[in-house]
Amino acid sequence: MAQELYFEDINVGDAIPSVKKDPVSKDQLWRYGGASGDFNPLHMDDEWGTMAGMGGRIAHGMLLMGFVGQAVTNYVPKKYLKKFSVRFGSMTKLDDVITISGNIKDKRTENGGNIITGELLATDQNGDMKVTGTFEAALPSKSV
Amino acid sequence: MADKSQVGREYELAPWEVERCKIKELAWAIGDPNPIYTDKEAAAKEGYQDIPAPPTYATVPGNWQSNTGQFMDDLGINYMMIVHGGEEYEYHKEIYPGDVISGKTTVASVVEKESKSGSKMDIVIIETVYNNQNNEKVLTARTTIIERK
Repeated sequence: MAQELYFEDINVGDAIPSVKKDPVSKDQLWRYGGASGDFNPLHMDDEWGTMAGMGGRIAHGMLLMGFVGQAVTNYVPKKYLKKFSVRFGSMTKLDDVITISGNIKDKRTENGGNIITGELLATDQNGDMKVTGTFEAALPSKSV
Repeated sequence: MADKSQVGREYELAPWEVERCKIKELAWAIGDPNPIYTDKEAAAKEGYQDIPAPPTYATVPGNWQSNTGQFMDDLGINYMMIVHGGEEYEYHKEIYPGDVISGKTTVASVVEKESKSGSKMDIVIIETVYNNQNNEKVLTARTTIIERK
């Protein structure tokens, strides 16, 4: 799905196409629990989340990282991805609508590789920051 | 509080067979429609030998074959006081269906920090390096655990 991407095509400041997710649902958290193997009741059970002071169940942090990863490999082919990291911000709850956006922060040639770095942000419908992410990719060059 | 003497301690993560349907299941659960994660032909057109594991796939063996209980207990961390601060991946080689990946987990660091409000916490970094069946390094994962004190 990601278009082929060349180092020459990228400029610092370029926007990474944003991705708007469907509202986080119980169904999604159950499915993500099964897929990832994380059945922590905090993500599965509203009562548990309420007891923990979260006001209901909360989404898996790694699901949010998955959302950010979707935005990354929607833009940069997975095969070129070298590093990807996130820091978690506020908790994501049911019905939150997460949007991921970002831009290119740096491009450089290093040890013969054509490296780009990008930063991303996942926010909810109120603009609250859920996750910040960075990635590094090594792209092919048109001249080689 | 996390026991600093545990830094450097190593744990095995048992071999995990990467299954095609488990890759699809993860992509579906995330709601990522990128066909490279579900359709071998679509993946081949983009230069992959099969559907590649999505960027956050390492969380799957990390949870299903978790050694978390072992190192958390050895570190003496209170589960009620932790949050997952962050996650970092380095990709060395593509992971495909049929691969068998094994992990070696190390307690990489334990650092005490103080927040602006003066409350203390331990920042614990756990690193897992995954090798495939050919003993090629495929992925390094670093998990940041924050334990409030």
